[in-house]
Amino acid sequence: MTDTKADANPFGKLNYLVIDDFENFRLSIRQMLRSCGADSIELVSNASQAIQHCTYNHVDVVLCDFNLGEGKNGQHILEDLRYKKLLKRSSLFLMVTAETSKEMVMGAREYQPDAYLTKPINRAVLEKRLSALISQRNTLMPINREIDRENYPEAISLCLQMLPRQPRYKTWLMKTLGDLYFQLGDLAHALKTFDDVLAQRELSWARLGRCKVLLANRSFDQAVEGLRELIANHPDYMEAYDLLAEGFERQGRPTQAQQVLEKAIEHSPNALLRQKHLAQLAGSNQDLETSSEAWQRTIELGTHSIHDNSEHYLALGQALSDLSEGNLEEEGKEKAREALTVLKKMEKRFEAEEGISLRSQIVQCRVYAGQSQDKEATEILERIRPKLDNAAALDAATGLDYAKTLFRLGHESDAKALLREMSERFSNEPDILQKIESLLDEPVGFRQKIKARTLNRDGIKAFEAGNLQEAAEIFSKALEIVPDHAALNLNLVQVLMKENDNSPGDAELLKRCQTCLDRLAGLPEQHRQHRRYIALQRKLKGLMV
Amino acid sequence: MKDQNIDFSMVLASAVHDMKNSLGMLLNSLDELRSEHEESLGESSRFNTLQYEAERMHNDLVQLLGIYRLGENNLSAHIEEHFVPDFLSEHLARHNPLLQGLGIDVSVDAEDINGFFDEDLLTGVLNNTINNAIRYTRSRIRLTAGERDGYLVIGVEDDGKGYPDSMQHTGTLNFKSLDFKSGSTSLGLFFASSVARLHSEGKRSGSIKLHNGGSLGGGVFEIWLP
Repeated sequence: MTDTKADANPFGKLNYLVIDDFENFRLSIRQMLRSCGADSIELVSNASQAIQHCTYNHVDVVLCDFNLGEGKNGQHILEDLRYKKLLKRSSLFLMVTAETSKEMVMGAREYQPDAYLTKPINRAVLEKRLSALISQRNTLMPINREIDRENYPEAISLCLQMLPRQPRYKTWLMKTLGDLYFQLGDLAHALKTFDDVLAQRELSWARLGRCKVLLANRSFDQAVEGLRELIANHPDYMEAYDLLAEGFERQGRPTQAQQVLEKAIEHSPNALLRQKHLAQLAGSNQDLETSSEAWQRTIELGTHSIHDNSEHYLALGQALSDLSEGNLEEEGKEKAREALTVLKKMEKRFEAEEGISLRSQIVQCRVYAGQSQDKEATEILERIRPKLDNAAALDAATGLDYAKTLFRLGHESDAKALLREMSERFSNEPDILQKIESLLDEPVGFRQKIKARTLNRDGIKAFEAGNLQEAAEIFSKALEIVPDHAALNLNLVQVLMKENDNSPGDAELLKRCQTCLDRLAGLPEQHRQHRRYIALQRKLKGLMV
Repeated sequence: MKDQNIDFSMVLASAVHDMKNSLGMLLNSLDELRSEHEESLGESSRFNTLQYEAERMHNDLVQLLGIYRLGENNLSAHIEEHFVPDFLSEHLARHNPLLQGLGIDVSVDAEDINGFFDEDLLTGVLNNTINNAIRYTRSRIRLTAGERDGYLVIGVEDDGKGYPDSMQHTGTLNFKSLDFKSGSTSLGLFFASSVARLHSEGKRSGSIKLHNGGSLGGGVFEIWLP
């Protein structure tokens, strides 16, 4: 060894930051660090001081208490520092907890501390733990430096070189290797890395890694099966639930995905990103009760988090608005009040964000309209209209939400004009187009939308059972609610044509078909139902000759 | 107010959780007190008793919570690969102040091998076992680790009188074998045995062994992990 001095005192050269709200604890940690040979030690009592210090100083080792009283906790600080890159990968973050179990701390798993230290901590524990971590840090430094530089290929070759020489860090090296291959998109090598580990031993992190690769590889069924098994063996392995939900989604099974997330949240309710994922999923599953609860939790968890976002408030406001719409009972009124409160809170909290008040008022307008307070609704609409008239300047989310409000206040032609303009402007973005189509199909309130969808499903069932007349009746009923719904109109046309096949010559049937198709005359070419529309139109022409 | 529908085990679990955290704070203060008043407290047997008994309660509560989660089917082993000598010496460091205070001599005798186990669960088991050894030893405790028959065997030996015949056994304990009438409930052994069983690999699973002898001639606790 050449650097004997550093070997003798591995603590000496490093910069430390101790974060704890109790002075006694800060002082006693400093005392312990000093007696281990540390020299440069900064003590702070809260998050903002910690972040401030890391902004202007290089820190090698952070010792942070998880529970810091009011305000941000240790996990928030970790997220903050890593997210803003104020703390390098090569720097150590140690979370000090009073908990023997890590559950409390397992919030957002995106960022994890390098180690947990459980109170009580004595000098001997600190010295052993820290010196092991420091020597690991020194050994792995060349790899982490390349990762900090985002030079992944170099990091990979360093990992490979180190593997046979450092059996002590084998787990770290294999995990990192699998991760790096995955990030580079080299799925074959990532898979091989995890398989190599699994060939020796069934380890849950490697199983999870393997499933993640399978998912990226579009082997959805294999991934889902692997994750189900993993959860059966490890019901407390939260990452597996998150990944399984993703797997179900990619398989096109959003209901199962939602159930998996709900299960995970039962175990561990404090992960913001998981709550957000559930909120979005439940929203698209039309389960607005679950969705609004999850948005509520997302907002609460966001109070001190780097992931806090005005979108969460807006989404909650929208969900509550939908829930309250047309419900003049006490329950509906309460939801409407909550919606207005959350929107007001958003305007205050994100004051500096451009257009935030406009976004808020677009939703407020619907809330009032849904409570039959037409005067308030109209007033707001008149106030915001001038700012929204230049349709070409609206982003997709604002435009869609505005169109929804226009529909709700009875300005149907304005809404349609806006959506037409948007579908041209966003013709290359299938996600946005799909949302525009859905809104055009169902420009009605949440409850009516659900009613129409249920009828549609019942109609399809009746059709499949061969009860044509019943199916036609049900579809017609649904169309009374959403007359412009493309798929529904075409469903009815198909039923009527089949009836016509069975008993030809009924001119009335074909006339009704024509009425349905006429409603879709303006269907744009890129619409998902366009081909079906053309095909049915051709068939009808053939029948009518 | 007849059917309040109280989930009593849930209530117990959260109370235990709370007590455990309080004891953690208490132990922390004891450690600080000891280092602040090293000269006057170093040999104080009353202080040692205080710390020892607090440790014991803390361990019991940790085990209780573990067993609760086991009953809820919410405890599984997160097995990772660890360098065994590091694990043992880091682990022992926690007991150092008390061991020094009591004048007990400790040694670690571990092969340079990697083992597969859940760090947190095994920490719970070892805390309890070392605590027990502190109670029954005369002057020495020895931690051992090595590979035998394809298992990782971690042992805690002491130079006390050893386990009574009725406690010596091999394999796994079930919940019914707990005897709440005698002074020692063997809760710790039940926990250790459950943790061992959670460690499985293919058809093999872990177990504990209790016997007397070893290199110190006292009690020997062994946990065998596949």
